[in-house]
Amino acid sequence: MFSYNFQLALKSLKERPALTLLTILAIATGLGLYTTVKTMSYQSSQVPLAHKSKNIFLLQMDNREITADAVEHQARMVDTTYKDTLNLMQLEMPGVKQSFNWSTYGILNVEDENINPLQTTAAVVNSSFFTMFETPFLYGNGWDKTTEESGEAVIIISKLMNDKLFGGRNSVGESVRINTHVLKIIGVLDTWYLSSKFYNRSFWPGYPDNFFIPYTFAMDNNLPRSAGFDCWAANADISRSFRTENKDRLINSECAWVTFWAEVPEAKVADYRQQIMSYMESEQTLGRFPRELAMYLTNLNDQYNYVNGRNQFLNTFSVLATLFFAVCLLNAVGILLAKFMRRKKEVSLRRALGAKKKTIIMQHLLEVVIIGLLGGLLGIVISYFGLQGMMSIRLYSSDYTVRIEDIQPLFQLNWVMIANAFVTGIICTIVASIYPIWRLCNIPPASQLKSQ
Amino acid sequence: MLRMENVSKIYRTDLVETHALRKVDLHIKSGEFVSVTGPSGSGKTTFLNLAGALETFEEGDYFLDGHNVKGLSDDKLSEIRNQKIGFIFQSFNLLPDLPLFDNVDVPLRYRGMSAKERKERIEHALETVGLASRMQHLPTQLSGGQQQRVAIARAIAGDPLFLLADEPTGNLDSLMAQQVMELLEDINSKGTTIIMVTHDDQLARRAHRNIQIFDGQVSDIEKSVADDVIRSA
Repeated sequence: MFSYNFQLALKSLKERPALTLLTILAIATGLGLYTTVKTMSYQSSQVPLAHKSKNIFLLQMDNREITADAVEHQARMVDTTYKDTLNLMQLEMPGVKQSFNWSTYGILNVEDENINPLQTTAAVVNSSFFTMFETPFLYGNGWDKTTEESGEAVIIISKLMNDKLFGGRNSVGESVRINTHVLKIIGVLDTWYLSSKFYNRSFWPGYPDNFFIPYTFAMDNNLPRSAGFDCWAANADISRSFRTENKDRLINSECAWVTFWAEVPEAKVADYRQQIMSYMESEQTLGRFPRELAMYLTNLNDQYNYVNGRNQFLNTFSVLATLFFAVCLLNAVGILLAKFMRRKKEVSLRRALGAKKKTIIMQHLLEVVIIGLLGGLLGIVISYFGLQGMMSIRLYSSDYTVRIEDIQPLFQLNWVMIANAFVTGIICTIVASIYPIWRLCNIPPASQLKSQ
Repeated sequence: MLRMENVSKIYRTDLVETHALRKVDLHIKSGEFVSVTGPSGSGKTTFLNLAGALETFEEGDYFLDGHNVKGLSDDKLSEIRNQKIGFIFQSFNLLPDLPLFDNVDVPLRYRGMSAKERKERIEHALETVGLASRMQHLPTQLSGGQQQRVAIARAIAGDPLFLLADEPTGNLDSLMAQQVMELLEDINSKGTTIIMVTHDDQLARRAHRNIQIFDGQVSDIEKSVADDVIRSA
């Protein structure tokens, strides 16, 4: 019976090609736009390190002065001070990893005279950064604690920079110069794409930094500090100078610029929180943390939810695309109704000759599944071009200051979205066909068989 | 074989109740050729729809091959139509884009027969109506009389208990009507029961028995004659 119904479904598709095509187009157009937006939304909400993202926490302690305004969300809370960072790194708790980072910048040079010097940013990190965030290495490795403590001039570069500066060869052992400092390459990262750079809290899409430098080297050589820099109390008026000078005062200041991370197993979160609170209490007795003690542990999932929830453009566009899809489906209902009702005499005859309702339903469901598949296929093609268009708009709206390779993955279809489009296409077409099929099956057969 | 007891059919709207059939008592025996006549709007079509299990009814009982049809599910009624009844319509009701072979195949498909058995039955049915050589033709390539013969082939292919023919010659000229009528008589002579609705008194008289429907009520006007015919058969 299935093969017979399938043959009938194929025949029906060919019967009224214009109506079939219109139905497919209605579904494909709605689905195309819907998939475009869903893909952008999906790609931008992909939380890195999904297998442990709920255990990776951003730590923030409210060290602000007593008159500071309340923050609207903990994600807006300040970073960590340098002295708190060093103190917290001394905490020992089995199973808990901690790491931290901040940003610097400089002019980078290599020996090859054919390569022009380039102005670049770099991430200043500690040794556990690479293990906690599972950075993939193409050559070499991260540095160990001994190397870090001795303040050695070492550096890890990205694959992109390795390709650019060394033609893709294994550059471990080679040197680069940042400003006046010569650093030895000990590792080259493999391709490491993040939907957004979470570790420096910019949540900017693209590939991570091109250079990673040990924090000890950065502090010893007073490499400039960029990005967020919040200072309190006596330091507030000179906070700007801390970016490039006054290193000795900075170390003990209440300026927060270090992003501090902890990987804590679920069972130990409460203990870890307690440990941090104890630390803050002890610091409070020394005259710090003037406000009521408050600390925040926000895992990666919650941070992404917060950032994506604030993406008004995507949220609005998502609602519009869903509404548009709904309108397209309503159109499909109308077209399918017109298409199916032209068949009422044939269906009545088949019912009179013994076809059960479920057989008629199966025949028409097969037909709409094929329509849904074709609509899904065309919808994917439309969404591919839609995504290209959206990427062009994004580049244009940023005056082409955004690098295409940084945002391209956000506008790329993947298998999940393709499968999603097919399934959505089929399910929605089936839903759209329920009423037309129901109408067709409930026509009394006798009413259509009398001679007109 | 077919027995109706006190069967009534009422069509209801919010404002009006129309009694299409009133307390019909009827018994049609196996092998009979029964004609059904009556003026337009008398209830012939309703009778045919009930006899063909195409419509349900509110009152009375309808026994088909010993089983009461009343209250059966839609699926069960489909099964009954498929296995026990052969339909012949005035306007043939062939599927125009299917060859004759596939048209005759339709009811057999829904019976779940094997391809081999279907093929044998289709070929035999088309041979019976004299169209075996045109199996792959489309209905539009045939005359009206030939199309009705295809419809008859479709009706008999499943070897039903009886044929329900709704004005089978209504759309045909007299020569073709004659041929179709002879074919039906031939089929009946081989044992198949036929119930035929017609406006044509001449054709009606060729049946063993004539049932007249008037204002929803049934009367056997030549019952005794028909009984004699059947008794002598």
